[in-house]
Amino acid sequence: MISTQRLEFTGNPNRRPENPHKDSPTNPEPYVVSAELKKAVNLAIYLRRPLLLEGDAGCGKTRLASAVAYELGLPLYRWDIRSTTKAQDGLYEYDAILRLHDVHTQKLEQQPPAAEAETEEEDEERVNRNPANPKHYRKFGALGKAFELKNQPAVVLIDEIDKADLDFPNDLLTVLDEPWEFKIKETGETITATHKPIVIITSNKEKGNLPAPFLRRCLYHYLDFPNDPKRLQEIVEKHYQIREEESPPPPDLVNTAIKRFLAVWNEGGLFKKPGTSEFLDWLKALHTFESEPYKAAQLAKDKLLPYRELLFKLQQDWKKYAKAS
Amino acid sequence: MSSFNPQDLMTRAFIRLRQSGFQLGVGEFLAARQAVEGGFGEDEEALAETLKILWCHSPSEQSQFDPIWESLQMSSTPKNPEKKPPVKEPKLESDQERVEEPQKLSSPPPQETVTEIKSKPELASLPIRAPFTPVENQDTSALQTYYPISRRSMVYGWRYLRQPIADGSLDVLDVNATIEQATRQGFYLAPVYRRRERNNAHLLLLLDQNGSMTPFHRFTRDLVETAIYESSLQPDKVSVFYFHNVPAASVYKDLYLTEPIKLQTVLETCDNQTSILIVSDAGAARGYRKLERIRATTSFLFQLKRHSSLIAWLNPMPEERWIGSSAEIIANLVPMYQMDNNGLSNAIDIVRGQPLQHLNSPFS
Repeated sequence: MISTQRLEFTGNPNRRPENPHKDSPTNPEPYVVSAELKKAVNLAIYLRRPLLLEGDAGCGKTRLASAVAYELGLPLYRWDIRSTTKAQDGLYEYDAILRLHDVHTQKLEQQPPAAEAETEEEDEERVNRNPANPKHYRKFGALGKAFELKNQPAVVLIDEIDKADLDFPNDLLTVLDEPWEFKIKETGETITATHKPIVIITSNKEKGNLPAPFLRRCLYHYLDFPNDPKRLQEIVEKHYQIREEESPPPPDLVNTAIKRFLAVWNEGGLFKKPGTSEFLDWLKALHTFESEPYKAAQLAKDKLLPYRELLFKLQQDWKKYAKAS
Repeated sequence: MSSFNPQDLMTRAFIRLRQSGFQLGVGEFLAARQAVEGGFGEDEEALAETLKILWCHSPSEQSQFDPIWESLQMSSTPKNPEKKPPVKEPKLESDQERVEEPQKLSSPPPQETVTEIKSKPELASLPIRAPFTPVENQDTSALQTYYPISRRSMVYGWRYLRQPIADGSLDVLDVNATIEQATRQGFYLAPVYRRRERNNAHLLLLLDQNGSMTPFHRFTRDLVETAIYESSLQPDKVSVFYFHNVPAASVYKDLYLTEPIKLQTVLETCDNQTSILIVSDAGAARGYRKLERIRATTSFLFQLKRHSSLIAWLNPMPEERWIGSSAEIIANLVPMYQMDNNGLSNAIDIVRGQPLQHLNSPFS
């Protein structure tokens, strides 16, 4: 049913369908999406090409995937990349040792091998494993799960791709392209995607560039820090609107905080600029850390920024704002 | 606009971007087509945005895209239904049109000259006037920096420099040997382990610093960093030393050339398996052909060759600039390569002891 209608991301979490997939995120994501980003996401959904998001840390690259998955009611599979990650880890893992272990324990207990019951519920933790069936020992990774879905596409988040090994992006490409399938050597299965997954890849350009063939396949969007009081205000509003249990900070405090924050941000000379998430933390601290919210007038005339440990994460930056300038 | 034809505009943008050095293939073109058919290019602005997302993969490419797109639009404006195609128009009319154009596009008057320049390539078949020359200055490729080799390709290159020997920890399970042993014995006793492989290659990097090499410090620094931290070489197997112009009796341990060390001491750590890579412009940057430099370099190279035969020279200057300078002569003494992707990979082939036969220079 979903496959026939065209999926569109609008940035409005209330459009979530009635019966979302069980792996879909359960909490709405307070995410303010710009028109350009919205378009990039929709293009990626339409063309089913991976969307590569670049930008500084803390600008909301990772959050986008859950916002998309929540709104469309699609399952979200997150794949955090580490320096040792191989492309195959995202497809499946095969636990040969467990199989060996099961063979031995079954020999001891003299259990007759259970009758073959070919259940298709692959995700569930298996209790009755049968060593005679190699399928019981494979476990799908984020991409593998997405390929397995029969009724709808999944959103796959590949987080911080530049952490991985040099060959990783190229290996990944062979899977994320026609014919959208991979083989499981141990069981001899070929998994073909019924629905091509919506892949969102984040990168913070820590190290050099990604290989050209990979870039050519991806859609590209650069996420800028929302360096604009209105946008920041919108983000704050949305944030508190969705987290209903918290009372929003008074508007004058928000305005002053935005003003001071942007002044620091735009002044330059920072080694590591704080991102949106740092700002939200800082605002929260200003608002609720003490029993009384921080006075807006006080914040405006304070020489020293309060709670600056939330904003500056490097010694030089910290020292720069430690002195009353 | 009634005359708006997204497929046509997209095709022309594709060709123009490719001419400007964008790495686009048929796959990208088809993807854009599909996007346009899917309604992602209902007007020019939307189409531009779509193509930008699809075809530009860095902020700098995105900023290159805008002027190219604008120039395409400019040239497509005369194709309004009431006007004839510009090719057939006499000069007078096209002049009038040029005056009109900026108004139509509501761009400020100072841009008028720019408009003229940009629209010119499309009007080039006019036989009346030769193309306005500044058009070449508008070519963005002229503004791009000299970027012969990326960090990524350095990391790739270093991967080939390896001499694996099994002397690591004894923890690699040899499945075949285990099975074989179990078959021979008739029962399984214990797994057979092998030693883990380690890269035993030893690299000696000699880098020319300061002077004419100053513009290339960025690349030499990348080269050192990638060799030490991002290659498969053991960090203690990479020795880096610096010199200025020609390595003399001593080289330096630091890049500020303050901690001298005797060249003899450095060479004593080398054996015939040591890979030696020299990075210097060999006088090609300034085009000098000084006899002292050649003589000093020659004696240094002969000294080097007594210790190892795996010597290569990377020259950050393009090959056509070597001619007539001392680099040309030095290139005959030692395999010298231009510092780009091919050059680095050739140089690494030499220093790992597997040179391609036809690339050998007579003296090595």
